[in-house]
Amino acid sequence: MQLYAPWVAAMTQALATGDSEGFAAALAGFDSARHCELTMHVRRVASGLQAALERFRVDSRLIDLAQRQVPDARHRLAHVLQLTDDAAHRTMDLVEQCCPLAAKIAEQAEHLLNLQHAVASPAAASPTQLQGQFEAFLKQAGSSMAAMRSNLSEVLLAQGYQDLGGQIIRGVMALVDELELALADLVRIAGADSHDSVGVGAGVAGRSGADASSSSLTRGYGPAVPGIDHGLAVSGQADVDALLSDLGI
Amino acid sequence: MQQNLNILVVDDFSTMRRIIKNLLHDLGYASVAEADDGNTALPLLKSGNFDFLITDWNMPRMPGLELLKQVRADARLASLPVLMLTAEAKREQIVEAVQAGVNGYVIKPFTGATLKEKIDKIMAARAAA
Repeated sequence: MQLYAPWVAAMTQALATGDSEGFAAALAGFDSARHCELTMHVRRVASGLQAALERFRVDSRLIDLAQRQVPDARHRLAHVLQLTDDAAHRTMDLVEQCCPLAAKIAEQAEHLLNLQHAVASPAAASPTQLQGQFEAFLKQAGSSMAAMRSNLSEVLLAQGYQDLGGQIIRGVMALVDELELALADLVRIAGADSHDSVGVGAGVAGRSGADASSSSLTRGYGPAVPGIDHGLAVSGQADVDALLSDLGI
Repeated sequence: MQQNLNILVVDDFSTMRRIIKNLLHDLGYASVAEADDGNTALPLLKSGNFDFLITDWNMPRMPGLELLKQVRADARLASLPVLMLTAEAKREQIVEAVQAGVNGYVIKPFTGATLKEKIDKIMAARAAA
């Protein structure tokens, strides 16, 4: 209202004095002031609309992160825990199987050594008996060493959890990054709202979920996690082989 | 038995490269080189004399699928046998790998027996072709 007061006063005075030119000029000024206020109002509405749209984009991303991806991440980390647990137990099982084999060989070797030392004494076992025990020992040592070799190979394979778990953890780290950016956007928008400023900026639209999913096929999704990744994923090597066979490989 | 194949193993996890390399040694493959992604593997493949490529899929920079495509696009490497050894388990990915020209696909976690079976199968198909 204050904006119009000088122009209304000027028009009243021009009317009172019969100054038609002054009246027309005051009227033009009044009109100009009215347009100026309208423009400012439209700008405020546009600014609010832009902020609302930006907030909607950030909110949608946060809702998706909170409702789907964060719970998924929890399951993925639980799967990593399971992988490390399985690998540790498998490794310990195999080592526990190896220990008695090694102990038995050591015990038998010591026994044979004692027999050999005693062979010179009058009460010693005969060389034939000694040879028989040597043969039995060597057979036992051969099969025990083969079993230990196989166990050690499996211990090696069990360390694959580091790759599988590592891929899942990398995925969760990317999710945490995404969450951080979305929250930073939200804080920025809240700041923009409180200062009633115009324009919200480009944000982090370049890292939108749509972009990420379109490149996932090429870059890879990471290991399948039971309970989360199902339906379209194969269940094991036999499933892969069947699919490859269908495809002519 | 000693096998005369020069093999390149590509995986971004050093533990997995060690596992594969050890298994290959057990299978008699003594000549095994390593790379940690497609970007480092490709120059090795172009300059080296490799007979077989084993690659992961999900790797930073150049993933395995892209490496496979680049290998097939290179006239000198186009016929190189490629075995994908990966945790990527989606059917569409396996189809994509086959369409890109992969010769075998092993899913992690895997066994030494599976690795041997797939290498033997690929080499047998090569010999018969």
